Amino acid sequence: MDKLERFFFSRYLKSPKRNLLRFSFVFMTLGIVLSVGILSAGLNLFEGYERSLKEVLLGSFPHLTLQKSSGEYFGETETSLLVQQLTSHSEIDQITPAMNYSVMARNENKVRGANLTGYDFSGKYPVSYAKYIKQGKSTLHSGEIIVGSYLASELGKKLGDQLQVVYPRLDRISALGMFPAEFNFTIVGIYSSGFYESDRSMLISTVEDAQSMLNILPGFGKLEIHLDKEYIDQAADVAATLQGSLGSEYSVYPWTMFSAGLLRLVAMEKWLIFIIFCFLVLIAGINVISAVTTIILDKTNEIAVLKTLGSSSRSIKRMLSYQVGLVALAAIVAGQAFGALLSFIVEKQGLYKLKGDVYFIDSLTASISPLNQVIIFAVAASLVTLCIHYPLRQIDRMQIIELLRNQ
Amino acid sequence: MLCIAGYNLCKSYNDSNQNIQVLRDSTLEVNEGDLVCITGQSGCGKSTLLHILGLLDAPDSGRVVFGDREISSSFPEAPSIRNKELGFVFQFHYLVEDLTAKENVALPMIISGISSAKAQREASTLLGSLGLGSRLHSYPNQLSGGEQQRVSLARALINRPRIVLADEPTGNLDPEHSAEVWQMMQKLNKDRNQTFVIVTHDIESAKLANLTYNLAQGKLNLLS
Ligand SMILES: Nc1ncnc2c1ncn2[C@@H]1O[C@H](COP(=O)(O)OP(=O)(O)O)[C@@H](O)[C@H]1O
Ligand SMILES: [Mg+2]
Repeated sequence: MDKLERFFFSRYLKSPKRNLLRFSFVFMTLGIVLSVGILSAGLNLFEGYERSLKEVLLGSFPHLTLQKSSGEYFGETETSLLVQQLTSHSEIDQITPAMNYSVMARNENKVRGANLTGYDFSGKYPVSYAKYIKQGKSTLHSGEIIVGSYLASELGKKLGDQLQVVYPRLDRISALGMFPAEFNFTIVGIYSSGFYESDRSMLISTVEDAQSMLNILPGFGKLEIHLDKEYIDQAADVAATLQGSLGSEYSVYPWTMFSAGLLRLVAMEKWLIFIIFCFLVLIAGINVISAVTTIILDKTNEIAVLKTLGSSSRSIKRMLSYQVGLVALAAIVAGQAFGALLSFIVEKQGLYKLKGDVYFIDSLTASISPLNQVIIFAVAASLVTLCIHYPLRQIDRMQIIELLRNQ
Repeated sequence: MLCIAGYNLCKSYNDSNQNIQVLRDSTLEVNEGDLVCITGQSGCGKSTLLHILGLLDAPDSGRVVFGDREISSSFPEAPSIRNKELGFVFQFHYLVEDLTAKENVALPMIISGISSAKAQREASTLLGSLGLGSRLHSYPNQLSGGEQQRVSLARALINRPRIVLADEPTGNLDPEHSAEVWQMMQKLNKDRNQTFVIVTHDIESAKLANLTYNLAQGKLNLLS
């Protein structure tokens, strides 16, 4: 900034009413605030969606799943030995042996497919789902069951009701066809993680009940492994390390194998939305161009005089760009605040809810990430700067003599 | 001592396929301390001549000599000469609407690189000496036409230019305000030996000058 630019800039700051709040700025400011607001609200909501989806995915699925490559079950002693061996890995936070298979849940003639998981509640192993039990209790005795919230409501069941679980057992085929095993459970807990797929299919019982339904000896089908927070994103690497140390008898699957594709898709959609909404800012940029053009027309005399008095086109252009730029930058920041407000309103409103069966989760949450805010600011500021400088180029071509003559 | 001179200046315009010869071999020498008036009918080329002398426009042929150097509007130092050694007053005041009288007067100094605080102090002093001490903080639209032109004159003078070029400075004023401005220029010429070239079609006022030229058919003729 040379002396003249600094003089005009401080002059603008000192009496903003006279210099900054021009009528042509109103639409420019409005356009920037709205477009940046929508851009930032869109990004906040998508970021929130991505984060909550990841959170429920990680909450509903173990970070690593360990199974026997042959598909056989782990015996009791094998399980405790494996758990002991794995505990030495510092990345691992929690190991939960589980029994898991598909069943049908029935209420008279309503039948739904479900996914039964049996856990050991003797206190030997921890379980990780307790935070998703919205009603009832999380620790079970024989004959008790926890049901996913959607599954319960689809079957018309509630806490304390009896639930029939049917398993088509292949060892009980008679001349009349398959003769399935039927068990009666009492519902003592309702599971609700927010992840639609889980809430629609989750059944949790004691591992003993699960074993007796399958008619197998005590044992587990898999180990559910939870990692320390900082290793969650490197689950695939940890899985490979474990696989290496355990040998080919066992198979280790990281969560990323099942869900990373989905998260990548969501992230891609987020940036796609960002790019599309950036065009809104570009459209707002047209207002900026017209505001700058108006100022130049307005100030033709002043430009002529400043040039006559010996100031350069460059310095005049900068003066004008500071004046417009200051308002535009304030508008961008205001737009970001507006976007935060907008996403907050969308989050708190009760009129529109996501469809869980389409979007996996049913609640809209906004997440204002500092990095995203910086990106929004940088992109909007560059677009606006471009739109300020484009019309200013005509000042170079203005000949003093023409300006003086055309008054 | 020679202050500014234009020798054998020619200038023509192409207006809708018609070539208008505005200046034909005009020569003008202005010495330091002169108060020169140029009169002539409207459209005869007075402004064109002044713009060429003021390095705002280039002649088709001929030379402009400033002090002891030949100079042209296309020279890179032309803006700096306009800023420091020339002062301009136009028919319309051309004050910056968003700045006060004092700030307007300070502009040429700020452009030349002097801090705005110092420039504004100088501007206050100058405006005071021109009888505008009470109007320092007025905006142009709060000033009368005569005051506006006196502020313009102060702006032309702030960098102590060697010469002030004025293009019909009173052309837009009523007789009373017009006299105000003329008196001031005459006083500056006498008291400070300030050189002036003033374009006017007011023959009466032109009599105050020590040299008066008439521009006609593209040539300058000395009247007195
Ligand atoms: N850019 C231009 N193009 C065409 N004709 C011009 C241009 N500038 C000035 N002229 C013509 O030159 C003549 C002299 O103009 P000017 O110097 O402004 O006269 P004055 O100041 O004496 O009234 C006028 O006839 C005017 O129309
Ligand atoms: Mg003229």
